[in-house]
Amino acid sequence: MTRNILRVTLLLIVASFVLAPMIATILGGFKTNAEIRTNALGLPAMWNTEFYGQIITDPAFWRYLRNSLIISVGSVVLTLIVGAAAAYVFAQIRFFGSRMLFSYILLGLMFPFATAILPLFIKVRDIGLLDTWWAVILPQTAFSLSLAILLFRTFFAQLPKELFEAAYIDGCGYVRFFWRFTLPLSAPILATVGVFVFVQSWNNFLLPLVVLNSREVFTWPLGMMQFRGEYVTQWNLTLAFVTLTIVPAIVFFLAAQKYIVAGLTGGAVKG
Amino acid sequence: MAEVRLHNITKSFGALTVLPDLNLTVPDGSFTVLVGPSGCGKSTLLRIISGLEEPTSGAVMIGGQDVTLDEPSKRGISMVFQSYALYPHMTVAQNIDFGLRLAKMPAAERQSRVAEAARILALEPYLDRKPAQLSGGQRQRVAIGRSIVRQPKVFLFDEPLSNLDAALRTQMRVELAQLHQSLDATMIYVTHDQVEAMTLADQIVVMNAGRIEQVGAPMELYDRPQTVFVAGFIGSPKMNLIPAASIGQPHARTAGIRPEHLVIDPEGRPARALVVETLGADTIVHADVEAIGPMTIRLAGNNRLRTGDVIRVSPQPGQLHLFDEQGQRLPDPETTTLQRNQP
Repeated sequence: MTRNILRVTLLLIVASFVLAPMIATILGGFKTNAEIRTNALGLPAMWNTEFYGQIITDPAFWRYLRNSLIISVGSVVLTLIVGAAAAYVFAQIRFFGSRMLFSYILLGLMFPFATAILPLFIKVRDIGLLDTWWAVILPQTAFSLSLAILLFRTFFAQLPKELFEAAYIDGCGYVRFFWRFTLPLSAPILATVGVFVFVQSWNNFLLPLVVLNSREVFTWPLGMMQFRGEYVTQWNLTLAFVTLTIVPAIVFFLAAQKYIVAGLTGGAVKG
Repeated sequence: MAEVRLHNITKSFGALTVLPDLNLTVPDGSFTVLVGPSGCGKSTLLRIISGLEEPTSGAVMIGGQDVTLDEPSKRGISMVFQSYALYPHMTVAQNIDFGLRLAKMPAAERQSRVAEAARILALEPYLDRKPAQLSGGQRQRVAIGRSIVRQPKVFLFDEPLSNLDAALRTQMRVELAQLHQSLDATMIYVTHDQVEAMTLADQIVVMNAGRIEQVGAPMELYDRPQTVFVAGFIGSPKMNLIPAASIGQPHARTAGIRPEHLVIDPEGRPARALVVETLGADTIVHADVEAIGPMTIRLAGNNRLRTGDVIRVSPQPGQLHLFDEQGQRLPDPETTTLQRNQP
């Protein structure tokens, strides 16, 4: 009994570290700037919906949201297609240099995004993609591929070999097997990688900041900067904005959640 | 239906040669069982016939045509795997239909074939279920159904009953035998279970270390094993293999006597029962026979023997098998008693 109380208390403390900033953010959208300064964590004295209303009725907010959504979904789709196809080859086919090539791709895991930002900018500028959605989608996909290929390959390699052999005898080749068998049987790992890439892309600030210049293509992290003045920051609008932009990421996560656990633990034990 | 011929098949994996040089003919319409211990190359041979594995050299002929370089789907074969290898995201009907769909068969023909296979294998109530919702026996039947619908020239089975429990295995064995009779198709079946081999086969191929030890009808192998290996491998309990000199056969290296061919004989050698297994119809006695050593004796009925009892045994006339230094069978001996060595 005492042990249970201790355990629950400990869990509540840990949970509060995660939940407190989120709750403060949501509540902050209902407060005036003055109240945020004096009462950052408490309930608002008056539930003021004006700031949320201001954000929702602003066309720019929807434009930022649309841009973020297109860029994130684009990154996810491209990463899943390219990553899964590459990983399938590494998992199914032995060819000269396959292990070396795979190791080379994994090297990408060692490079932080920020270290490549300048060469990326130059390359994006040279191919004429500056200030377009592709300027964010393509580099993000490239940087996601190492992890995606690693996870996909591990998962694909665990699919029973006899499954391919039975399909092969039925007249199914590698490409058809990929579409008809590998992908449908890999929903957990597709969901896992999809969520990772989506969240990473949704919250990415540095790359859009460098390669996007006009408000027409701004993502929400860049759009949020409009509330930050030289002398004054409109914290209530910023917090309301952040709260509303978190919603799509949470919806996406919840939709894929049931697959994610299976994707992360799949193959840990022989089923 | 088709005859399968293997000409000088060799298979090496790097430096390891699994099949040194193998020739085999599987007659049209026969049920041929490849049997042997684990690692003897029987599954590799089946995979070479199926096209899943390429031989290092040699030729595979099916129905008189050289199919060595053909894709599996072009060989007119179908294969049932030990693990069933059912497509988990498809229903039973889709599993059975998949190969036909890939072959671009008209929908009406496909439906009729799937229905016919489902009828033969009693799968009609399960056509809309996924494999995970089926029992082991039902899954195996789906795997067989997937083979039947393609109407192949040759059916290949790779230890298809190994994952089933004993009762289901017996039932499926009977069903497979009936299936062979009704389809009258050429079937090649790999197993390490000699009961399956003896009960299903028209022809048994006993393999050891990549080589064929003997090919023949089940009772031919049982009654006249051509090598010591076959003598020891076929039959349960195993044949007693003893030094031939110990029973007065100095021209041979090894003598073999089946447990059921040892009978109680007041003139025979004394044998002390070490373990007695009473099976009802038979009694298996693991005994220490004087001057020979451990032997297994199978006695009809319940003999009420107990551990430590001493009985006298000798072989039935004409049931002694003799093998030379190379393990090859020698002509049948004239003497059939467990004689003591003559000084």
